Amino acid sequence: MGIPSVSPSVARDVTEHAKPPRAVFLPFMMGHHFGVPFHKQLQRRVLMEMLAELESATESGSIRDLDLSWAQARREGKEIEARLASAGG
Amino acid sequence: MAPSDSSPSKQLRPGLWQVVNDRYPGSMITKEDLVPLAALKKPLSECRVAFLSTSGVQPKGSLRFDTAHPVGDFTFRRVPSESPVEDLEIHQLKYPTFGAERDLNVIFPIERLRELRDEGVIGALNKSFYTFIGYNMDPERVERTLARDVAEALVEDQVDIALAAPA
Repeated sequence: MGIPSVSPSVARDVTEHAKPPRAVFLPFMMGHHFGVPFHKQLQRRVLMEMLAELESATESGSIRDLDLSWAQARREGKEIEARLASAGG
Repeated sequence: MAPSDSSPSKQLRPGLWQVVNDRYPGSMITKEDLVPLAALKKPLSECRVAFLSTSGVQPKGSLRFDTAHPVGDFTFRRVPSESPVEDLEIHQLKYPTFGAERDLNVIFPIERLRELRDEGVIGALNKSFYTFIGYNMDPERVERTLARDVAEALVEDQVDIALAAPA
């Protein structure tokens, strides 16, 4: 019964209070739940992790921590933007 | 697990719930009960997927969310899932939008979702995504109106999966 749902979270404490049925936690900045600009691979990964959680979660209220870092996401994003600028120039 | 600031969280802004709720008592959602876990009824590759977002993303030309109201805006917008990103804009004040202003997919991954659909990872995208603003200071009213309205729309659309993203 009901529609299966899953949420990304950058505020684990808020998610613990709201208790959505399934969530994945990323230590990212607010407003950047899917990563950084032009980092398609990271944006896709977050979506894929959410979809995987739909298949694997066994208990309501579960929050799965993803092995990601904001610093690394930003670093990779800057590299991608540098490559894009180089290709465009 | 009881909500706790001692969780192994590495969130960039720790203690967010407590800080906001101390400043505006009762404004933050807190639930005592867990929602029963709805099971997937078919493979992902056959599922119709809807994306829900508190990002305030909306089609250009649609009625702008009321970001100035002190209590919030309890309405939602339908965003066609085939919308070009150039046709969308953000009306929401309560999160950093500097990333989204350069690439909307960081908060509203509409292009990535279309790619997953085109690759067959998911079966289809619902014709509409649903958006609203997260700045709503009356959680009970959210549940009574906005959440119910969106839930009814999802049922009517016969979606199989809801990806529900805060901002």
